[in-house]
Formats: sequence, structure tokens, C-alpha cells
Amino acid sequence: MPLRAPKPLWRGRRTLAGVLGWSGAVLAFVLVAFPLLDILYLITRRAFSAFSLTLFTQVTNGISGGLLNAITGTAVLVAGSLIIAAPVGILTGVYLAEFGHGRFGSTVRFCSDVLTGVPSIVLGYFSYVTLVIGLGWQFSVMAGAITLAIMIVPYLARLTELALQRVPNGLREAGYALGMREATVIARVVVPAALPGVLTAVLLSTAISVGETAPLIYTAGWSNYLWNGRFTHEPIGYLTYVIWSFINQPFASAHALAFAAAFLVIAAVLVLNIGVHLLLRRKVPAH
Amino acid sequence: MAGSRAGAGNRPGLAGQSLPHQTKMTAAMTLPTAVPYSAGRVRGAGALPVGQGADERIRDQVMSEGQNGIKLRARDLYFYYGKEVALKNISLDIATHMVTAFIGPSGCGKSTLLRTFNRMYELYADQKATGEVYLDDRNILLPGEDLYRLRARVGMVFQKPTPFPISVYENVAFGVRLYERLRKSDMDDRVEAALRQAALWDEVSGKLSQNALSLSGGQQQRLCIARAVAVKPEVLLLDEPASALDPISTFKIEELIYELKQKYTIAIVTHNMQQAARVSDYTAFMYLGELVEFGDTNTIFTNPRKQQTEDYITGRYG
Repeated sequence: MPLRAPKPLWRGRRTLAGVLGWSGAVLAFVLVAFPLLDILYLITRRAFSAFSLTLFTQVTNGISGGLLNAITGTAVLVAGSLIIAAPVGILTGVYLAEFGHGRFGSTVRFCSDVLTGVPSIVLGYFSYVTLVIGLGWQFSVMAGAITLAIMIVPYLARLTELALQRVPNGLREAGYALGMREATVIARVVVPAALPGVLTAVLLSTAISVGETAPLIYTAGWSNYLWNGRFTHEPIGYLTYVIWSFINQPFASAHALAFAAAFLVIAAVLVLNIGVHLLLRRKVPAH
Repeated sequence: MAGSRAGAGNRPGLAGQSLPHQTKMTAAMTLPTAVPYSAGRVRGAGALPVGQGADERIRDQVMSEGQNGIKLRARDLYFYYGKEVALKNISLDIATHMVTAFIGPSGCGKSTLLRTFNRMYELYADQKATGEVYLDDRNILLPGEDLYRLRARVGMVFQKPTPFPISVYENVAFGVRLYERLRKSDMDDRVEAALRQAALWDEVSGKLSQNALSLSGGQQQRLCIARAVAVKPEVLLLDEPASALDPISTFKIEELIYELKQKYTIAIVTHNMQQAARVSDYTAFMYLGELVEFGDTNTIFTNPRKQQTEDYITGRYG
């Protein structure tokens, strides 16, 4: 809860200072909120005129058609990245919170923070060199999903660590006082208590994956067709590519698809963020 | 009732032994007979039932069987937080099926003492205990002690309720599963029995599958007691179990302690002196890591030997 400071009596210089302060705050808010609202308005308006059933039933045909290939492609890439990154990231977070108090732990923590700061296009290029070319996978689901996974693992690890650290020690002690072993305390007491926080980490990483473009351009390529189930040697479509590429085309149909894709990505991120908000509002055990 | 007690108190040669740790007869090295057994008890405003037949029997048993009446014995116990000494030379006996209360100002070491009885302090690398603590005849401070078994025998309930974020039923069943494999119906019985013992069954029987965090604070604390007794421990350590609760919940917990001592040996830390007077048979007053006075609760509260004890219980400091 924000504090409600006692209201001063408005007089003279105080009034002036108050008015200036308030105007500054309002101005700052408008500067932040206006571009966001403008973007949302523009995208919603343009997307709605482009919306039709074919968007969800047909694949892209050149610069027209639908987005079915891109929608399913994004879903496949994000799911793939989560399947790879969630176990690694969450287990790393558990390790850092419960065991990583020594030098190795702080090294892992440092590396993960550095990885968070690496520009995603650098990760994309790294994967291009190692996976797409090096291993000869070509543009593919596997290369794209692994690249996204590398990008979200540090978020998952650090957010999981944070969630576990917030579990009160009293709960751990209660587990040990019953005679539980360390593994039982962690797996059956600490992690369940931290579950809302861990799920939040997963949802936030999903949102990041959904909205990424740069790492995929180098690794997933683009395809006008539905994914055929092959993990390598087969490019795949995704929504952010449509936004990035089709908006540069001098055709109204291409623009319509780009705005529709942008709307879908924003809607997905919004839904995920609302999910996070709801999870965090749920009462975490307080001890 | 009163007769037998007075008789016990008047026995020649037994008077003045109400400070167990001071008793050092040669035979008593292995046979600490010095459980204080003088008569009478303080009962706060008659809040609790007065029928004390079981106490009588147990007390007679204590006298006739010597050390069989002692569940826990601490000898020359020192405790360190890093280099700081938190307990100095503690020696005392905790009698079987009795309630022993530890009182004293904050930081006097009473919780620390409790945490040596199940070696909870081991969770923290910088904490260390030296000396001896015997559970029955086993020195539980020895390095080879199986801590998981120890904690099954010595249960603990903490100041703040610590239910696990799972269902009411699972909270109770969880500890049992660590030690026993029971059929579903047997487990149901065990859970019900534990919840009944904790005087919680009537309130939660309809919502066993609900998350335990949805219970009230007092219910959560009684759930923690149920969780502890479900494992069938021999000793229950209660670390200020009622200090975070409202008076009605506190009253329920105190009633419960009175019931539970029929089956378990209870050691309770409390800041509330009236509570110590109401629920305990023996009281230990601690100050700055030392055991100042230990004896029959009635004696401690009505006729303490040491000025320090009297000052504390009359509220002159602490």
C-alpha cells in the first residue's frame, strides 16, 4: 500500500511548489503514457480493419492470406523454448537459492546476470554460427527454440531464486523439525510455497519469448507453411517476423497482416502480464 | 490428593531437593532423583480443570522408579552462537509426562535451550552445543545421532504457525509418511486422531482438503500441533506457541497442553508468566544464559529462593 502523507495546508509558496510539483508529475505521466496509448490505439485501429476469419484459418500467401502459420509457429517456438529453458532455469534457481552460497554460486549468478544483458541479436548470431551453420541445422524450430531458451534461462533462474529466498526460514525449520530430509524440505515445502513466484517467472519468460524478433531472424527463418513436425532443416513462421518484414512492403495487404500480427503479440503479452499480476496478488504464505 | 502430596513433601531427606541440577549424590550420578515433587500448583483463576489424578500416579512412579521418570536430562550444557556464549553450564531434568516451562527475559537462552533438545540449531553452521543432553539414556549431542529419528521422537511447534501450503489433511499426513507406510484407511484414522488430540477436528472435519493457509491463526497453530503429534513423538517442544494468538486461541492451546501431557512430555517456552503458572508442573527461570532457578511451578511462583526470580515474576524487571 502506498503511504498517504498528511495533507499540508495550501498557502503561498507552498501552493506554488505544490502546483509545480503536481504539474511535473502529470507531465511525466503523460510523456510515458501517451506514446503507449498512441501505439495501442494505432495498432488496434489498423488491426481491427484487418481482422477476419481468414487470419486464423489460412496460411500466409506471399504478402496476403492469413497468419495461421505464424500463430502456430510462435506457439511451437515458445513452447519449445520453455520445454528446454524451464527445467534448466528453475533448477538453477533452486540451486542458487538453497545451495549456491559459495564461490561457484556467485559465479553462476554473475554469468546469468551478464547473459541477461547480452543483446538478443548477438544471441541470434551466435546460434546462427553454431547451430544453423556449425551443426548444419539450417533455419529450424530447434535452432530458434534453443536461442530463445538461452535468452530466458537467466530470467527464470534469477526470478526462481528470488521466489525461493522469499519463503520464510520458519517454514524450512518446520520441515526439518518433522524430520524431513533436505531434498524433501526443498521439493515438498519450499518449492510449493514459492510456486506463485516460480509460475510468475515462467509467464514473464513466455512473454519475453513471444515478443522477440532478433534471435529468430537468424535461426528460425521464415515459412509460408504450417510446421511439418521436423525439428531441423525446416524453417518456421512466427508473428514478430510478420511485423518486422511486412511493414516494409509497399502493399496495403502486407501492412494489414503486420498490424494484425502486432495486435496478437501485444494481446498475448498483455494476457500473460495479467496472469502474472493475478498470481502475485494471491496470498503468499506469510510467516 | 492433598494428603499424598503433603506426605511426599514431608519425607525426611527429600526436602530441599527442588533444584535438580544441584543434586549430586554419588548414586545420583546415574540416578537423578531430583525431580521436584513438592505439593500444590498455581492454576490461573481456575481456568483449567483441576483433576490431577494422573499427575499423582506419575509422580508416585517418578519416586519409585527413579530415572524412569526423567525424559530429558541436560548436563553441563554450553551453547555458542559463533563465539558468543548463549547457554552457560545448564544442567536440569525434564520429567516424563509433565509440563516444564521456561521463562525469562528475551535473550536469556530459553528458546536456544529448547532448540538443543531436537538439535534444530544444527541447521546453522555457526551454532554449537557442548555438554550432554540425554533423551532417556542416549546422549543426543553425540555426532552419530540420527537427527531424522531424533526429530520423530522430539516434536516441535514454533511461535508463528507454520502450516505447509498444502491441504489440512496432507499437513498432518505428511510427517507420518516420512516414517510409516499406512493404508489409506489407517492414515485417515491417524489424521483424525491427531486432529482430535489437537482439539481441531470439529472445526476442520468438513474441510480437510482445503489449503491449510485458509485456516485462522489459532487453527493453524493447532494444526501444527496435530502435525507434530501425528508422528507420535515422545517429547513436544513448544516455543512460545501462543504468543502470536488471541486470548481465545491461547486458552484453547493451554487446555490442549493440559490434555497432551497425559501422552507426551512437554517443554514450553513462554514470555507469559501467567501462562507458565497455568500450564506447567515445573518452571525454570533463566537469565543471561544461566539457569537461575528450577523447581515446582508453585514454589517458583509463590516462594522463589532467589531474589532475581522474585524480581522477574513480580515484574520488577524483564
